[in-house]
Amino acid sequence: MKEALAALTSLLRRLLARRGPALSLAFLALVALAAIFAGLLPLDPLAQSIADSLKPPSAEAWFGTDELGRDILSRVVYGARTSLVTAFGAVLIAALVGIPVGLVAGFYGDWRDSLLMRCIDVLLALPNILFAMALIAVLGRSQGAALIAVGIAGIPGFARIARAQVMALRQLDFVMAVRSFGGGPGYIMLRTLLPNILSPLVVQAIVLASIAILLEAALAFLGVGVPPPTPSWGEMLRTGKSYLYEAPTYAVLPGLVLTLTILSFDTIGRALTAILDRDETNASGATIGGRR
Amino acid sequence: MTAYVLRRLAQMLPVLLIASFAIFAMIHAVPGGPVAVIAGENATAEEIAEVTRRFGFDRPMLVQYADWLGRALTGDFGLSLHSRQSVLQLIGERLPATLQLALAAILVALVIGIPVAVASAVRPNSWLDRLLSGWSALALGVPTFWLGILLILLFAVELRWLPSASRYVPLWQSPLEALRSLALPALTLGVYVSGVLGRFLRASLISEARADYVRTARAKGVPEQRVVGLHIMRNALLPFVTIVGLMMAHFIGGAVVTEAVFTYPGLGRLLIQAITTRDYPLIQGCILVILIAYMLINLAVDMLYAWIDPRIEYR
Repeated sequence: MKEALAALTSLLRRLLARRGPALSLAFLALVALAAIFAGLLPLDPLAQSIADSLKPPSAEAWFGTDELGRDILSRVVYGARTSLVTAFGAVLIAALVGIPVGLVAGFYGDWRDSLLMRCIDVLLALPNILFAMALIAVLGRSQGAALIAVGIAGIPGFARIARAQVMALRQLDFVMAVRSFGGGPGYIMLRTLLPNILSPLVVQAIVLASIAILLEAALAFLGVGVPPPTPSWGEMLRTGKSYLYEAPTYAVLPGLVLTLTILSFDTIGRALTAILDRDETNASGATIGGRR
Repeated sequence: MTAYVLRRLAQMLPVLLIASFAIFAMIHAVPGGPVAVIAGENATAEEIAEVTRRFGFDRPMLVQYADWLGRALTGDFGLSLHSRQSVLQLIGERLPATLQLALAAILVALVIGIPVAVASAVRPNSWLDRLLSGWSALALGVPTFWLGILLILLFAVELRWLPSASRYVPLWQSPLEALRSLALPALTLGVYVSGVLGRFLRASLISEARADYVRTARAKGVPEQRVVGLHIMRNALLPFVTIVGLMMAHFIGGAVVTEAVFTYPGLGRLLIQAITTRDYPLIQGCILVILIAYMLINLAVDMLYAWIDPRIEYR
């Protein structure tokens, strides 16, 4: 545990040393803080005032107002909650299903591997967005349905990475050693293999977070995401698109926040991949066996 | 080769069978299901019973599925619950629109993506490479529906050059009108794909450039342009074809968001309409057609492989 924490701090320090990832982390921290403490800010995402509808950005309403006179900035801040909660929940679902699937498939490599991977292939055959929409058609439109749909779409990513990593590790000496000491399959998978494949899985979680936010927004944009009046960035773009002539900033500003959030997750994910790749290259040549 | 294609086509059948059954089962798992849609919201218990009996929903699900499958095999996917038109006819109207948009988007992506990838792969880690890699990241990260809105704001609202809503005009009927309608959606999708292509082609160009045969070619005194254009390009093309094929397959149903931005009458939007109005026969038909198209394009990609790389042989 202590080792993992030290590795995490060192990783964070290396991320902050570079400009792009540091800026991305700062932006995400701002969005997360705003989402968590939204209740403490003088913002009301639901207060309507028809007289003040579709106002351009001003000193009172920095992002302007929407068609019901609601403050767009307030709705963007509360929309961050919707986005981040969906992303977090979806990553959790995808990891809790995908990682065990990948562990079992990669560890045994027999009929269990073929069976599980064919199921994953079926998930991959339909575009994410269609799969999510079909699922929402069955479950009905709600925040929970959006979260589950986005989560299931993320399962293949985790499963494939866990499987590939386990397949590379399972024949190595330290795994063989645990096996010869009498470690059972469950023990080897959870206590020996899992700790050694955590880094790529963490990267995958971050990559998936950006995909999840995009997918949630896309579903809301299509009108099948989190139902109104709950603020959601995608839903704001959907409505804002109807007022492009009257209030061009309505769709532009929430979209900008959405885009910056996605780009930030993506930048951090790629920076982490680059850092891990470099470690991998440095480590190869030396023994790869021991715990890192 | 013929035997291989036939075997691949035969392998598609069980997948389609399982997928169609899964969709069928999912639809029938919905509370109320198709009965609720046909009978209407305020239906009395008698009306519901009448609909259930008349449409055969009281039979076991397997029997209903076998019935549907039997008719689907003869090309009869049933009628849309709302428009009462044939499902196959509705899909047939949308498929050419989707294909035209997908092809146009791939074309835009190739025109942007290939030069970007080659320029950055020639000098990896130069300022140009970093700039162009930044472009790829941006192209991938910007949601297509936001980019679409920005393009509409610029080209339709501000400049008034192009329409904000796109119609489907067949290219061979009125090329100019078709291009005007296609320009914005194709650009929106194409920019995204150019990011994918840029990233993948750059990576495979760089890894091919380190190969022995490249060093040999240079040692023989082959001009640099020929080394890059003929030797490296040809070998880097293999993974590239996969990506283009996958994108193409993805667009058959996955361009739904872009289609929604520009109210373009593609297959994806037909499916959204079907889902929001719970038009079950239409949902089922759309998803099956999308799956079939996906698998056929994948097969075409594999066959292209053999053509590009003679070392690959299918038996």
